Amino acid sequence: MKKQKLILWSVSALAVACLFGSGLTPVRADAPAQAPAQTTDKKAGPKPAPAKKLTGAELYQINCNRCHPERYATEWTPAQWKTLVLHMRVRANIPAAQAKAILKYLQEDAGN
Amino acid sequence: MKIHSLILGAATTGCATGLAFAPHASAAVSDEDFNSLKSMVQQLNDSVQSLKQEHNQDQQTIQQLREQLGQTQTLATNAVQTAQAAQAQANKPPSGPFATHNFSMVGDAEVQYGKVDGSHSAFALADFAPIFLYRANDNILFEAGFDVMLQNTGPGSGQHASGSSTSIGLSFAQLDYIYNDYVTIVAGDMLLPLGTYNERSAGWLTKIPDAPLLDDQILPSSGIGAQLRGAIPVGQSGESLTYAVYGANGPSSMDGSGNAGQLDLGGNVGINDNGSSDNLHSHPSGGGRIGWFYPWKPHYDLELGISGQTGEWDDAGNHLWSAAVLDAALHIGPNFEAKGEYANTWYGTSDSGTIHPHGLWVQAAYKLAGLNLDFPVVNNLELVGRFDNLNDGLGAKTDRYTLGYIYYFTNTLLFEGDYEILHSSDPGQNHNDFVLQLSYGF
Repeated sequence: MKKQKLILWSVSALAVACLFGSGLTPVRADAPAQAPAQTTDKKAGPKPAPAKKLTGAELYQINCNRCHPERYATEWTPAQWKTLVLHMRVRANIPAAQAKAILKYLQEDAGN
Repeated sequence: MKIHSLILGAATTGCATGLAFAPHASAAVSDEDFNSLKSMVQQLNDSVQSLKQEHNQDQQTIQQLREQLGQTQTLATNAVQTAQAAQAQANKPPSGPFATHNFSMVGDAEVQYGKVDGSHSAFALADFAPIFLYRANDNILFEAGFDVMLQNTGPGSGQHASGSSTSIGLSFAQLDYIYNDYVTIVAGDMLLPLGTYNERSAGWLTKIPDAPLLDDQILPSSGIGAQLRGAIPVGQSGESLTYAVYGANGPSSMDGSGNAGQLDLGGNVGINDNGSSDNLHSHPSGGGRIGWFYPWKPHYDLELGISGQTGEWDDAGNHLWSAAVLDAALHIGPNFEAKGEYANTWYGTSDSGTIHPHGLWVQAAYKLAGLNLDFPVVNNLELVGRFDNLNDGLGAKTDRYTLGYIYYFTNTLLFEGDYEILHSSDPGQNHNDFVLQLSYGF
């Protein structure tokens, strides 16, 4: 059992060390600022256009409505939305860039 | 020949004479008629002059009206622009930075009416479950959830002391620190990410008032410890990988022994109710969850997760309690949802060897709005069904079938009802229940 615990804690420590020490950029969070030009490969044909970046409204539908009915932007003030989105970012593990886009969308039509 | 020429010449001469001496129409105009006609022409001339004058005046009037219309249009355009600017200003967040601190409260409240076989139907529950959120800055949030319930005073065996009492339970109390875009540090009494039900179990979210059998019975809902969690976006469709790694005090033993039946999933909080510190065993448990969330468009997504926890549970530290949980959730359109969890746990004991509790639940729901019927009541209804079972590893097996509905008065005010059929390996435990619940999320 001690060996099992040792392995468990070693794996946990390794994971933590990797996350903190690697600069934490394993995958890009945002699209490149400029989409690469569409090129044509004679064999493969035209490359598909890069996917459209999702709007805050679309990200809201994707991340929020899957767990609870829609909450309207006017229900809270911009400052409250900031708190609530921070809460949901942690609770629902929403990626940072997506949480920011959702917050911006909600604050635009927030109540007073 | 001569005769023909003579005849032709005579005819020509005749025609020429006729043309030359055709009768003239002669019209003699008197002075009176001429003057009358002249007067008439004069009058007509006067009329034309008058009309010309009126026409000029009309032209001037039209020009003035055009100028006034132009001014009015300019004024209207300016007014619209002013209104739009005012609207934009009204909608715009305050120009200065938001206050660093903010205190907000969310949560839910429920009232239940139900009947269990062998008891009278009654209002069974009044629950107020606020979540207090305190944001210290952009990166620090403290959140605490409570369950405040009203209950009869004393034991519930048909007799009880007079009056009622209020119970207050701490569901969770945790400090969140956003370390960066990918890591959040959590510490405190945390909802444990074993499956997803623990973290998404507010009364207005679950669609069925009663929790799955495995929740709280073979899995702990919260634990005191520390956690790292976050999400890594993948691609541009909203897809993400999520993770959580934590250490928590873990389960404990009610009597300190390692005997079967003494497992206490949520009892090791490190402090006794008399205020003394007393961690019940020496080593915390470790656990975590890895999830994959794949939305292919809004309202269409699949989430899969695997989670687990392991650690000592008896005071002597001789036995491990371990759990592995698989969870899945699927949405096909805004009206259909299916989700479920399978939990497999095992723990060593001093008297019964290894105990192996396990269970699952699967649930599907459909909003009748998807049928596009033009009936408001029907459009606000959602039907839900669930099957869940539990094997406690000590000989009891339970299957439960639940059918129910949710009526949405508003987006956050729900009227739920369900009928539950419970089959147990112990025939004495078989019963059918119905539950009605009014839920409000705030």
